[in-house]
Amino acid sequence: MNTRAVSNEFAKMRHLRVGLVAVVMVVAVLGLSLYTVVSSPTFSPEAPGAWNGLLAGMSLGIPLVFPLLLAVLASRQIDIEHQGNGWLLQATSGLTPGGMCRAKFIALGLIVTAITIGTSLLVLATGKLLVGIIPPVPFVHWAGFTGCMLAVNLVVLAGHILVSAKIDNQLVALGIGILGTILAVFSQGLPAVAAHLTPWGYYALAMAADYRGSGFVALPLPYPSIAALAVVASVVFTIITYRFDHQEA
Amino acid sequence: MGALNAELIKLKRGLAWPVVVLLPIVLVLAGAATQLARGGQPENGWHTVWVQSVVFYGLFPLAIGVAILGSLVWRAEHRGSNWNALMSGPTSSLRIVIAKAAVVAGLTAIMQIILLVSVVAIGKLAFGLPGMLPGQYVGITGLLVVATIPVAAVQSALSMVLRSFAAPIAVALVAAGISLALLMIEVPGAIASPYGLATRTTQLGTGMFADTGTITGGDVVAILIAAAILAVALVTVTTWILERRDTRI
Repeated sequence: MNTRAVSNEFAKMRHLRVGLVAVVMVVAVLGLSLYTVVSSPTFSPEAPGAWNGLLAGMSLGIPLVFPLLLAVLASRQIDIEHQGNGWLLQATSGLTPGGMCRAKFIALGLIVTAITIGTSLLVLATGKLLVGIIPPVPFVHWAGFTGCMLAVNLVVLAGHILVSAKIDNQLVALGIGILGTILAVFSQGLPAVAAHLTPWGYYALAMAADYRGSGFVALPLPYPSIAALAVVASVVFTIITYRFDHQEA
Repeated sequence: MGALNAELIKLKRGLAWPVVVLLPIVLVLAGAATQLARGGQPENGWHTVWVQSVVFYGLFPLAIGVAILGSLVWRAEHRGSNWNALMSGPTSSLRIVIAKAAVVAGLTAIMQIILLVSVVAIGKLAFGLPGMLPGQYVGITGLLVVATIPVAAVQSALSMVLRSFAAPIAVALVAAGISLALLMIEVPGAIASPYGLATRTTQLGTGMFADTGTITGGDVVAILIAAAILAVALVTVTTWILERRDTRI
């Protein structure tokens, strides 16, 4: 890992309002999670499955909010290189375009990791302190869901970094972000096979809980599918950034 | 007319058309796909097809679509020395602002017509519904064309001020989310927000969120008045801002 390149990426973020976008992501998902439990007539903080309400809220909120804002984060971090011809500058300084993409992924990936884990912990704390949920927290299921969401978020981020780097016009990257949001939301109503076909479909596959019949119930998490997605995405990202290294800046 | 003609010429080689055509079609297809995956016919015929297509579209994809159009229309002015050419040209700020907003609003209007045609096509081809889409939905589409003019004006203003392609889109997502929350908790005057106005119009007659399911003359008049006031106010403020902008070194 080129630590100087990564720290350089953090320096470039100074005027990109990354913190503001991160706050929006966390607050929006927290709001949607709370709305899910508040708007449910059957929700009770004393019920044994009360935590499933917040998990269902996060399972709805993250696919609604994250795909587009991940596209925004990646697009803004890459667009500065297109506008200032940073690709050529960095290449002549010894950092190839593929290396830059990897550095950008690590820098943004750290932020996305913090956002995802932060959102999960904040919803958990709100459930305990504000909603006053009494039953014990299902820590294993909660951590598993957070891990799955983190993996999908990082895969989507990596994809957006590649698209934004390859295509100068950021319309394409943002358009894919919107399409991803639609796929993430509507995949919840599609068969599991269809949801496996795009990275955004995995948001729907990794739903931790849902409203069924008379209340919220926990759903099993598709760990093998998420692991397979992460492996395939890592290989594809490595190959494509390696190819970027061999292109003229 | 010269400023508007210039904008129309720029559109010819722009990438706005894929957004205008694909966004409504994808949303209608996504709504129909979940219905088809469940294996049933729409419960209430045309009404169900309309609700499953248009209500989600109005939550935030509509605002984001308009935001992308705004970013595309202003993108050319932020590249190279085009901003300085714009600032030093003989065209008044008011004419520039009106021409840009009119182009975004015009493209948005075409988007609504494509949405209507897509709903009819899906109803007929995918579900084989009898008869034709009731006239009230054609009326709502007409109203939506007017109600989205303020969103077009505000997104055009944001894209004028912000050089980043992605930033106005992120703002649209957040603003649409806040406006939706205000509509859901039935805050009086939520349609004073351009985004709230557009979302409220897509919900007309659906019985979803804050809508009662019945369209009254008062609803229609309130939407038309709000659209007119917002459009004039936004164009005035945007012109005032552009008047105080200068060339960039």
